[in-house]
Amino acid sequence: MKDSTFGFLVALPGTLYILALVAFPLGLLFWLSFVRFDFYSPITFVGLSNYMRVIEDRVFWIALQNTIVYTVGVTIITMLLGILMAAAVSRIRTFSTFFRTILILPWAVPLVVSGLVWRWMLDPGVGIYNYLLVSSGLIGKAINIFGEPTYAMIACILSDSWTRIPFTFILVLAGIQSIPIDLYEAARVDGANMIHSFKNITLPLSQKSILTAALFNSMFSFRTIDVIWSMTRGGPGKATYVLGIQLVDYLVMYQNLGFGAALGVLMLILVSLFTTVMIYYLLKR
Amino acid sequence: MASSPKSNILVRIVEHKLTPYVVTAVFSFFMISPIILMLFNSFKSLAEAFIWPPTLFPVNPTLETYQRVLGSTVPLTMRNSLILSLTTTFLVLAIALPTAYALSKYPFRGSKMILLFYLASRIVPPVSLLVPFYIMLSLLRLIDTYLGLILVYIYITLPIIIWVIKGFFDEFPKDLIDSALVDGCTRLGAFFRIVLPTSAVGVAASGIITFLWSWNEFLFPMVFTTSSNVAPLTTGVFEFVGDEVIEWSSLSAVGIFASLPAIIFFIFAQKYIIAGLTKGALKL
Repeated sequence: MKDSTFGFLVALPGTLYILALVAFPLGLLFWLSFVRFDFYSPITFVGLSNYMRVIEDRVFWIALQNTIVYTVGVTIITMLLGILMAAAVSRIRTFSTFFRTILILPWAVPLVVSGLVWRWMLDPGVGIYNYLLVSSGLIGKAINIFGEPTYAMIACILSDSWTRIPFTFILVLAGIQSIPIDLYEAARVDGANMIHSFKNITLPLSQKSILTAALFNSMFSFRTIDVIWSMTRGGPGKATYVLGIQLVDYLVMYQNLGFGAALGVLMLILVSLFTTVMIYYLLKR
Repeated sequence: MASSPKSNILVRIVEHKLTPYVVTAVFSFFMISPIILMLFNSFKSLAEAFIWPPTLFPVNPTLETYQRVLGSTVPLTMRNSLILSLTTTFLVLAIALPTAYALSKYPFRGSKMILLFYLASRIVPPVSLLVPFYIMLSLLRLIDTYLGLILVYIYITLPIIIWVIKGFFDEFPKDLIDSALVDGCTRLGAFFRIVLPTSAVGVAASGIITFLWSWNEFLFPMVFTTSSNVAPLTTGVFEFVGDEVIEWSSLSAVGIFASLPAIIFFIFAQKYIIAGLTKGALKL
């Protein structure tokens, strides 16, 4: 048997997987977005009407805006803190394994649990953070964080970031540690201080890991509803209502599969647009 | 280079030998405190979890919450999580290992396309496929079954795992396989006898990553299960979240259970998990 034939046969299970569990559902998704489907009445082709109905829904635009705020917020906070942690740990000689283990542990917490833990810590009635703020005199009385639209969004962003920082930290740390140490010594001889070399050596040379982490963080926070679901379920009002939750509601609450499919396609288009731009930059490096 | 005295102070602070330790310690405190607080909270009595000001350490440490948790549906959902994650891990490795081996060592026409397709499939938000999967599972009568969820879990984990394993196989020298072939070994024999044993660490890391990923999955089981006979622990944590009252201390105990497998893996196999993930991620 030829090597390439052998390769094809051995890779067959993985290829069948693509057809059955990715290509087929994707095709089904596009088809569903153009029909009326509710399991009972006959399937009818409705053209773009599902899309029009979704776009005309005021809630869609609120959810879109919230999703952008949430995705950008999580990505910025996660990247900033992750890079800072990586820079700090890369300079540590003793106990570095110990600190690294501690810093990646939040990753172990499932996102739904993370949402619930932060909901508890920020709670106005039993939460430690509200207590610390009140007892330090910074605020008069406990803030009902989940009753205030802005605070609720910030709380969701913080909780999601907390579980995402470890991955960014690990990726950027690997990037920083692969930079040859001679570069820093040469820069020091030339009179550069540590801030200069961080700006001119560390950041540019670990660009690949930084961009990769940014890609993953934005891609995943755009589509993951776990934290928001366990923290606010989209509330108060529609303050933290994101596209993913709207899609779940179309399916579970309103049982309108056509709308759900149309929204699914719209989300796919949105995510493809911004990941394509990011991957383009990533490959250009 | 002229610099103001103010930035000089900043530079001296940044360059100080102890600065990274202080920064790391502060970050570590904030990163670990939610887990520690959750652990402490799980040993409080139901009543103590509701008093204001909140207590840091349990005043009267008790196992009350753990008893309540063991008497609830949590043991059942935890068993489900184990069944789902272990089966998914086994199946994903069974599919991914030969596929990654072929794609790495025996490329064929279209194999590059297949690899790119795996990568591209990660861009598709799983939530986008919620409706098509719902219809597929309904028509196959797989809603609220292990098999239905396992199919979805495979869809979620397989592409990345193939990339991770291929990363490990790429490092394996082709010459070693070729010399085994000269000695009369078949290509599959070389895979089982030489490649797999030497890549055991990578295989284990990939298995752990698959397990944890399945363990943490929430969206699909939330929509596709209706009973706690099949539902995993990520949906089971809501057992103690009522509309009016949340049993914070019992919830903390469940949270600890839900985080336990990953914490154990991170403490004992951290090096391999990190190697696997960075390999897969940086291959982009």
